[in-house]
Amino acid sequence: MAKGSDLDRVASVVLREMRNPILVLITVHALGIGGMVLIPGVDPDGNSVHMGFFHAFYFMTYTATTTGFGELPYAFSEAQRIWASICLYLSVVAWIYGIGSIIRLVQNPHFAQAVAQRRFAVATARITEPFVIICGFGDTGSLLTRGLSDRRIHGVVIDNNVERIKALALRDYDLKIPGLCGDAGVPKNLRDAGLERPECRAVVLLTGDDDINFKIAVMTRLMNSRAEVICRSTERIHEEQLNSLGSVVIVDPFETFARELVLALRAPTLHTLNQWLLGAKDATLERTVSYHPGTWILCGYGRMGRRLQGALQDQQVPTVVIDPNVEPSEVEQAVVGMATKANLLEAGMHHAAGLVTATDSDSTNLAILLTARSINPSAHLVVRQNHHENELAFNAASADLIMQPSLVTARRILLRLISPLIQAFLEHLEDNPELLRAEVYPSLRANLGTSRPVLFTLNTDARSAPAVIALIDGGSVLTLDALLRDPRNRDQRLGCVVLVLRRGQQRHMMPAASMALEADDELLIVATSDAERRIRTSLTDQYLLEYLATGVERSRSVLDNWLRA
Amino acid sequence: MNLEKVIFGFFVVLALTLNVAFVIGEIDDPQHHSVWILFTAIVVNLIATVLKIGDRSHIGALLLATALVADLQLIACASVWTIANQVLGVVSTEVTVGIVSLAAGALVANVVSVTMVVTDSLISGR
Repeated sequence: MAKGSDLDRVASVVLREMRNPILVLITVHALGIGGMVLIPGVDPDGNSVHMGFFHAFYFMTYTATTTGFGELPYAFSEAQRIWASICLYLSVVAWIYGIGSIIRLVQNPHFAQAVAQRRFAVATARITEPFVIICGFGDTGSLLTRGLSDRRIHGVVIDNNVERIKALALRDYDLKIPGLCGDAGVPKNLRDAGLERPECRAVVLLTGDDDINFKIAVMTRLMNSRAEVICRSTERIHEEQLNSLGSVVIVDPFETFARELVLALRAPTLHTLNQWLLGAKDATLERTVSYHPGTWILCGYGRMGRRLQGALQDQQVPTVVIDPNVEPSEVEQAVVGMATKANLLEAGMHHAAGLVTATDSDSTNLAILLTARSINPSAHLVVRQNHHENELAFNAASADLIMQPSLVTARRILLRLISPLIQAFLEHLEDNPELLRAEVYPSLRANLGTSRPVLFTLNTDARSAPAVIALIDGGSVLTLDALLRDPRNRDQRLGCVVLVLRRGQQRHMMPAASMALEADDELLIVATSDAERRIRTSLTDQYLLEYLATGVERSRSVLDNWLRA
Repeated sequence: MNLEKVIFGFFVVLALTLNVAFVIGEIDDPQHHSVWILFTAIVVNLIATVLKIGDRSHIGALLLATALVADLQLIACASVWTIANQVLGVVSTEVTVGIVSLAAGALVANVVSVTMVVTDSLISGR
């Protein structure tokens, strides 16, 4: 219905606006034709003749459009010429009026908005696969959209900033990402974005306004209870409000980063794996970045500073906070003031293990970084990057860890959208360091090497893996090992590792290769991009899958099968 | 009284009356069917069509449909006449019958249209 009403609206606005110009055109033509037929002309023999309706119509057609084929069928009489000039001026005015009306209509911002809204609704309705609605297209939104498009997950964007939507249209995404300029808190816009459709799997709230985020979360719960709500939030109060709605996933960039930093201090191997899976730049499994214990200095005690201080304190890491507004009673050790060289020295930069610059100004953060490095070159330097456009400067600063809230949020949400199993897997590894050391690491190193990992999930259901279902229904056994062999040469394995196999409520972490697949399993796989493509092909190609499972390549031709039988 | 309604009613009824004026007479006698009346009937029908455009109600859509049918039949009628007259050079009895039958078809569409307008205003009671 949404499409229909939008189409109706645009079409009826056009027709209503064009009604008067068309009436004027019809009248002018009728007048001209009538006049030409009435006014007598003269034929070459000097007889008085009247033009027929057909000739009059023909004359008006080429005169009104200013084509001007001349005086047909005979040279005009003076009376006819007078009337022809009147017709010409009348029709030119009528055409200008008509064209002017169209231009005025097209330039009307409300009309343009209605057309854009309709285009958006049509583009959204064309998406037949599961998709995600992204509300807010700032730094985080655009990073997330890029990630989704790279993983072939469809997305739809709503933002109230015209410039951002224009920018979206110019991005070279692999998928077509429709964008609407409008308030995401308005239910009509959400409906046009496809919120009510069963294919809508999640709504991501990145508007930067907690009230609007909350409003969209409520709308989503009401309009589509199956869709997952993922919300970025940095305020504790707001998080409680959202939590009361139930089943809302809250991503707090500062919280996430605090957890990552603690992980880096406590379990460097797992942290490296985490970074590598997240697709962080220059993260490899070959090199583990470990942070030695000692005193950490925190510059900036805002929202991020507080989270970090709390997380470090929980790990019994001694911290010194430098901030102009910090209450010395709040933290275990504080230096009140800006992070100048003198204050850094006072905080004990000489023998500190590491330093985190967490202010909300990028230039301050970089300046502190440079000062700190000049005092103690061996200290770990962790820096907060606030704006994505400053990336080049931060790369040049070569800090040990760059914390970019928008990137952290986008990655966390992307992983969540790829599969909630990833988080479960990482948590499992945190509790079982032995599994990580003895199984996960060697397996990943052997199968993927240094290539960039692609994380994806596979569902063995009839829709996404028809060949698997056909094989299992046919009574054959398909092991994980068989599925992950190279279709070109069955003796070789593809570069991939199954991290988790979920069957119903049960989760098998690092499942054995001999495990047989069943219908409706969910697999979390990390693979090279080449391997991912090959696995996806064999899911739909039954002959290929049979070859992988049995080593015998069955003929695809009916005739051949019949001859052999 | 609403001026818009007056104009609308005027053109819808005029389309019907002009159509009747053209169709009436012996079906095969060209003398009974004036080309001027056909011309005005087409113009008035076109204007009535444009006036019906843009009404999003169900009855508005039906009215537009009947008007389009009438336009189609009348324009076909004029085209047949023009081709017979200008291209073939003779308007035979068969052609005259064809022209008037096409116009009679348009007449039915116009009757339906006027009936709907009248019924609608009676039902709405205004």
